[in-house]
This record gives sequence, structure tokens and C-alpha cells, in this order.
Amino acid sequence: MALVSLEGVGKTYRGRGGAWEAVRNFTLDLEEGEFFCLLGTSGCGKTTVLNMVAGFEPPTAGRILLDGREVKGPGADRGVVFQGHDSLYDWLTALENIAFGPRLRGMGRAARRAHAERFLELVGLAGQGGKHPAELSGGMKQRIQIARALANDPRILLMDEPFGALDALTRATLQGELSRIWADTGKTVLFITHDIEEACALATRIGVMTRGPGGTLKAVLPVDLPFPRERTSDAFMDVFRRVHALIHEEIVRA
Amino acid sequence: MNGRAATVAGYLAGFALLFAIWHLAATTIARSALFPPPLPVLERAVVLIEDNILQEQIGASLRRILQGFLIGSAVGIPIGLAIGSFRPVRALLEPWTEFFRFIPAVAMITVAVIWFGIGEESKVFLIAYTTVFVVIISTAAGVGAVGRDKIRAAQCLGATRMQVFRLVALPATVPYILTGMRLAMANSFVTIVAAELVASNDGLGKMLWDARLFMQVEDIFVALVALGLLGFVVDRLFRLAIRAFAGRFNPTM
Repeated sequence: MALVSLEGVGKTYRGRGGAWEAVRNFTLDLEEGEFFCLLGTSGCGKTTVLNMVAGFEPPTAGRILLDGREVKGPGADRGVVFQGHDSLYDWLTALENIAFGPRLRGMGRAARRAHAERFLELVGLAGQGGKHPAELSGGMKQRIQIARALANDPRILLMDEPFGALDALTRATLQGELSRIWADTGKTVLFITHDIEEACALATRIGVMTRGPGGTLKAVLPVDLPFPRERTSDAFMDVFRRVHALIHEEIVRA
Repeated sequence: MNGRAATVAGYLAGFALLFAIWHLAATTIARSALFPPPLPVLERAVVLIEDNILQEQIGASLRRILQGFLIGSAVGIPIGLAIGSFRPVRALLEPWTEFFRFIPAVAMITVAVIWFGIGEESKVFLIAYTTVFVVIISTAAGVGAVGRDKIRAAQCLGATRMQVFRLVALPATVPYILTGMRLAMANSFVTIVAAELVASNDGLGKMLWDARLFMQVEDIFVALVALGLLGFVVDRLFRLAIRAFAGRFNPTM
């Protein structure tokens, strides 16, 4: 059985200006342990898909299953890494942010501290746990977000363009780190991006969406390259070109 | 010179300049018994302090401010949190706050005196009244300003509604609450003077009123300077408290 199943999922917003169809008939199975990149142009509805899997917004058509049970709202089984770093708690230290999930479950102070330290180390920030988010760089904040989500041991990690606001060098570094963390933890990841190279560097499968409104899954490509990915290799370039062709059709289809 | 010493030096120079301008204005432009220069005012202040009169007036005003301010904050914070958190409560209570905040405390002096007399109760009521709406509005605004992702992050870490409120909404709102209280404190100074002018047996407002009656111009200025310094010190203390509480994680405070 697939870990997560989206079955004919659709989302239509109804407002004063009429109806807006963000996502149409979206069907996909996510398997345990895979790194799935959902790729699409801006406005295609990819973030809406993630928000529905996270349970922040209910679908208006179809249904979403996690371990065979229908998703009814947000829950600790789905960890989310947000695009912006506003989701971190300014009044807590980096370590306390990471320990937030265990704290909610009532884990003792010493135990959750030790637990959080492990994840701080996992994301390469050992020794920085006493700082507040305001004292951390954008890249470090995203590392804290990843650690916070993983420290809660979710079934799946949902990432909404987590490196979109970072400079190119920091982004490449964090992509490499994320690959390593994914390999270390064996977590299933659903990763939203509009960056083709990022998708090719991270994914075991890439899903390309049609352009919005009413975006849906256009094609799914397996990426059978070993990690760490060699971005200048012919094999990588070949994957890049195939994905690029799919996306390009959506850009020119106006 | 470190930053703090530079700030203190700047304040001292600023005050010195203010008193220098006052001195010049009084001795060259006004040259009237109705506008005394700083030195005679200072001498009068020393006399009033030696006679323990100034301390008593300041103490009377400050005690009322503190009592009313604490009552107003204690009532305003939970109401503000409720308005910010629950839509029905907002719908029900927002008309109240939007109605009463346009009736200034100064306008309520008359009813306060009719209801509570000219004793302590009427002053404390007025200070509480002027405090409560400012605190309600800024607290409710603070709850409304909690980032959506902060709440969502807690939800997908497994937080219950109560945990979201207690561990996310409440701490995120603290800087807004403190800022509202700081504004309310400034309002309290306005209100206490007005209230004591109209009806009181002591306090800085009463001191102003009596000094006018008996044409003791120096006493008027002593009361004015005392008000300014008092407000300055209280506001500084508030800023220090806000910084100690919120500044370490929010450098903009």
C-alpha cells in the first residue's frame, strides 16, 4: 500500500469574484522512502496540493489517504517545512524550537533537550542551539525548520519550496545536506519546487504539473541517478533536458 | 565610549539644552513673573521636597495611576485575547471597544465623581477606564498578527487548540500587550492630571490647581517638571522591561 494516496483530488476556491479552480483531478501515490519532487510553474497549484496533504486546506473533490486513513486536518504524522522562516518561534532558542514537538507530547525537559541536540547535529548546527532565530541566517533558519520537523518523527516530510528565498550558493549547499539527511533518516519526502535543477538534484521521482488554473499532474519521471548527484554529468543533463522540455511546453502553452 | 554611556550623555545634554532654552526664554523674551526661569523653580522644588510636600503629591498621583493601570491591564488583556481568538467574541465586543474608546476618560470624570465621589475610587476608575481599551485593542491586534505559518507549524507538530493558544498565540502576542500597556501608561498621566484638577484633595493635578488659585507660579512649574520627569522615568522603565522580556528575540522592540 502506498504511504500517501491522492485520489482524484481537486480544489476550487469560491469567493466574491466567482470560483477559482486551483487543482483538478490530481492522482498520485507516494511510496515509503522516496523523495518526490513536485515541479511546476508559479500558480500551477503545487503549493495547494501540499497544503491539502498537510491538512491545512480540505480538498473540494477526491480524497487523500495516509496509511489508508483519510486526511482530515493537520497532524504530527506529516511534518512541514515552510517556504518562509516566519514559522519559527522567535521567543524560543533554536534548540527549543526543535524540541517543540516533543514538548507538545509531554517529553521531559532533559530528554527532549538531548533529543533536540541530536537533530541540531543532524542539520549541521551543533553548538548553535542557544541562539534565537533572529540571530540566525536564512539558511540556518531553514536547517532549524528541517530539524524541528524531523525531531517529531513524522511519517512524511512535506517541504514547500524551502530553499526558494536563499542565495544560489546556500541553496546548493542545503540541497546537498538535505540529500544526506534523507539518506540518513530514510524519510519519505514530498518536495515542492519550481527549480528544475533542484528537482533533478534531489528527487527519486519528479512529478511535473500542468500550468494553472486547474493544474494537474502531467507526467511522472523516475530519476535513477546515484547520490550525490553530479550536476555536470551527461546523465544529469539528460534528465534536466527531459524535465525542461515538459515544463517548457507549459510555459509556451498560453 | 560604549553605547549606553553615549545614550546617557546624550540624554543629559538634551535635558541641559532644554533647561538652557527655558532659562533664555524666561530671562530675555518673557521677562515676566508669570514665567519663572529654571533656577527659582528648582529652589522652590527643594523647599517643597524638604517639607515632604512634593513627595506626597507625587506619591498620591503615582499610587492612583499604578492601581488603575494594573486593574485596567488585568481586565484588558484577557478580553483582548478573547476578542483576538474567537470570532463571535469579536463580533460581540468590538462595538463596545469601538464605542467607548471615543469617549475619553476626561469626559467620564463627571460620572466618575457622581458615582464614586472625589476620593480614590473615582481616580482609580478613570485610570482603569483609560487603560483598558488601549490594552484590549493592542492585545487583540497582537493575536490577529500571529503569523499563519506559526500556527500551522504547531498544528502539524501535533498541537491541540489549547496548546496553540498557550504556546504560540500567547507568547507571540506579549510584545503587543506590553506596547499597549506602555501607551496606556502615557494616557494614564493625561487622565490623572485632569481628574485631580477637577476633583481631588491631593496629587500633582490638585497641586497645579491650588498653585493657580494662589498665583504660586513656581509651584505650577515644579508640578509640570515633576510630571515630565515622572513620565520619562516610568516610560524608560517600561522600555527596559519590554527589552528584557522581548528584545532578546525581537531586536526591533
